[in-house]
Amino acid sequence: MSVLAAEDGEFDAVHHTADAYYLDFLPIGKVELPRIFILRSESDGYGLRVFRSTKNALQSNEFAAKFETDTTIYVTEDSLHTLISEGKHLDAKLIPINDQSAIILDLSMTKHLVFALLASGILLAIFVQLANRYKRGIGRTSAPRGLVQNLFETLVIFVRDDIAVPNLGKQHYQRFLPYLLTAFFFILTCNLLGLVPFGATATSNLNITAVLAAFTFVLTQTNGSKDHWRHVFWPPGMPVLVKILLIPTEIMGLFTKPIALAIRLFANLTAGHLVILSLIGMIFTFTNLFGEAVGYGVVPISLGFTLFVMCLEVLIAFIQAYIFTILSALFIGMAIAEHSHSEAH
Amino acid sequence: MVLAANLLSANVGLVIWLTVVFLALLLLLRRYAWGPITTALSEREKTIAASMNRAEEALAESRRIQESNQQARREAEQDAQRLLREAHEEAQRIRDREAQRTQEEITAMREQAREEIERDKERALQALRSEVSDLAILAAEKVLQENLDTSRQRALVNRFIDGLTSHGGNNQPPYQA
Repeated sequence: MSVLAAEDGEFDAVHHTADAYYLDFLPIGKVELPRIFILRSESDGYGLRVFRSTKNALQSNEFAAKFETDTTIYVTEDSLHTLISEGKHLDAKLIPINDQSAIILDLSMTKHLVFALLASGILLAIFVQLANRYKRGIGRTSAPRGLVQNLFETLVIFVRDDIAVPNLGKQHYQRFLPYLLTAFFFILTCNLLGLVPFGATATSNLNITAVLAAFTFVLTQTNGSKDHWRHVFWPPGMPVLVKILLIPTEIMGLFTKPIALAIRLFANLTAGHLVILSLIGMIFTFTNLFGEAVGYGVVPISLGFTLFVMCLEVLIAFIQAYIFTILSALFIGMAIAEHSHSEAH
Repeated sequence: MVLAANLLSANVGLVIWLTVVFLALLLLLRRYAWGPITTALSEREKTIAASMNRAEEALAESRRIQESNQQARREAEQDAQRLLREAHEEAQRIRDREAQRTQEEITAMREQAREEIERDKERALQALRSEVSDLAILAAEKVLQENLDTSRQRALVNRFIDGLTSHGGNNQPPYQA
């Protein structure tokens, strides 16, 4: 079998970009992640079941595997064994064998969660150490020293002076700066982790970007000034009829902003990865269609484009972190702003 | 279609996990990282601003001091020049006074000398006069002894006296009456 005929001649970019219950260290192998379920059964009530891996969960005889593409339910040990040996069990949906119990919540670890945790760990390691440097006086009473301190200080000052202060104002920015810094560096680290070998992009998961956007939403609404709410529920300075038309729009506007935040980040990061994987996939597609010689011929073109898109991805990693943060600052800034209504709108 | 759904599939467990993780990250970083870092940064900025202010002030102060130093130097130079000029003038004055006094002394001495000469001359004339009268008397006695007539005696005496006078004044021969 040729080296170019990977995965039975199929190369599925979407599958690689999507979340999974394992870490892919191809070609070394896969590491299955723990499965955690909160179950409820008629007889036992609520229960927590933790398994070391999907394989363990299936072998425990508590769960059956099911695929969305067909209706077959793999229950018997033999069928499960075949599934596991083929490595297909990782893509299966797990359903309790016992009819009486149901999965209330699937708290299983996923690839993207692992990388989000990794990003958090990296951030804590870097910035707590950096903070200790400042506490020792380096950078506080003396000039900052070293590449790490200078690099991150530049970014911190950038977030403070170019994102927080202009959008939130001098009096309020300090209250929101920790969130903006955390969001910026978390998104940036997640984005960049997707570009390292064996890495995955947590921010190319809509669930994760939605959580981040939800934080902005909650911060925006809980800190909204009286003016902010008056604008939503009784927009000043216009006829009552227009007000009635405007109120639903304003209420929708409250939600469209964070939704746009979530989708923008998700779509940008997903698209970048899909493009990279598709360019790589061109090699296999061409091999399948026209034979191995053409496949090898496509390699330099494909890798050249991949390199170019990779560079673009690094840029996008920074740009999207910046855009998410500055829009969050802008939304919060708009909500906390208090202004007189004599102003034109 | 199924694969696309995989990308967009909702995962409540993941949402809960990430909410907890991100909230924990936010609180930990705020407590242990952003707090100390931003405080240190603003502290440093304040220090820098203050030092720059101090430097500006010090510069202004030094300019002021330099200015006053220059002023003082200019004044000192003017003083020195004035003193020099005054000294020159004083010296000149002393020299003039000295010269004038010398001149006066010389004049006085000359005057004194002239008076002395005058006095001596007077005394000499007096002496001469008495000498002459003695000689006249002597001559008269001789005349008397020779017994001459009065007119010839007189003419003789007069001629003699005239001869004396002209001897002192112009050099005319005695017998020119």
